[in-house]
Amino acid sequence: MISEGRKMSKEYGEIKVPKEIIQKIKEHIKDTEFKSVDEYVIFVLEEVISDEEEPEEVFSEEDEKKVKERLKALGYLS
Amino acid sequence: MIILAIDALEYTLVEEFNCTNLKQKFYGKTNIKEFSQPRTMVLWSSFMTGKNMEKEILARGDKEMWNTRIDLKETFFNRFRDPKIIDLPGFNYEKEQHAKERVLLRNYFDAQGNDEKNKIRTEYNNIAFEHHRRVKKEFNEALDARHDFVLGYFSLADVVGHLNFGNRMMMKMIYKDLDEIAGTIKESFIVLSDHGMEKVGIFGDHSNYGFWSTDFEDIGNPRITEFGRIIK
Repeated sequence: MISEGRKMSKEYGEIKVPKEIIQKIKEHIKDTEFKSVDEYVIFVLEEVISDEEEPEEVFSEEDEKKVKERLKALGYLS
Repeated sequence: MIILAIDALEYTLVEEFNCTNLKQKFYGKTNIKEFSQPRTMVLWSSFMTGKNMEKEILARGDKEMWNTRIDLKETFFNRFRDPKIIDLPGFNYEKEQHAKERVLLRNYFDAQGNDEKNKIRTEYNNIAFEHHRRVKKEFNEALDARHDFVLGYFSLADVVGHLNFGNRMMMKMIYKDLDEIAGTIKESFIVLSDHGMEKVGIFGDHSNYGFWSTDFEDIGNPRITEFGRIIK
């Protein structure tokens, strides 16, 4: 169910989310820069529906080796 | 005058995430081609002294380099009556914090197995975010005080970027926060990074240009050593 309202210059609607998920989000964002569950949910949804689809990066030993060498050259890994 | 000094702020991500506060009215890339490598300590030291400090900093060796402390008299900060500089490498940065980050970085690369690496990465990210919050608080307090020059140095994009630059969500969250910090500044300011960052799989490496922005002048493609002259 969606209802609509207005907050600052943007228009906002409401969606129902299970309380269990809200609780998990609260835990998830407690050590981040997100100030509220709303802010986090908007951020994630914007990202999910964004047109800029990029393949998810995965760990590779080759990348790790390359970065390790670069970080040594830059003085981080003396 | 206020300087928002952001380590590894990447021009292409500022564009991609449309960070309007960081971009201000005029923005572009800095030219750091005179340096053999985009080293953080070399670049910030060169920024504050107005001269290429590469030879001098590298002569100290990789370990001692991080202990560089340039005297106020040798920097353009001395032109101001009451300058407030927060956590700047080469001047007054929190050595223990940044040393801890480098130890965890080394531990990450030395660790065997994904579980151990993930555990170290989480700890590494957490201490970087905690430090970021402390710097943010100090910066906000400095903005409220009556300093004629404030420089706040934010290292989060660099520190977290090295192990997470391929994590778009995390980087977007960091850029959003940095953009909000820029949005809180009520007077004229300059945003400056020493270098940017480029993706190597999930990791990040320094790119060969920095970022600048102002709300008062298009300064083109300046060298990092020119900012002492640009800042009035």
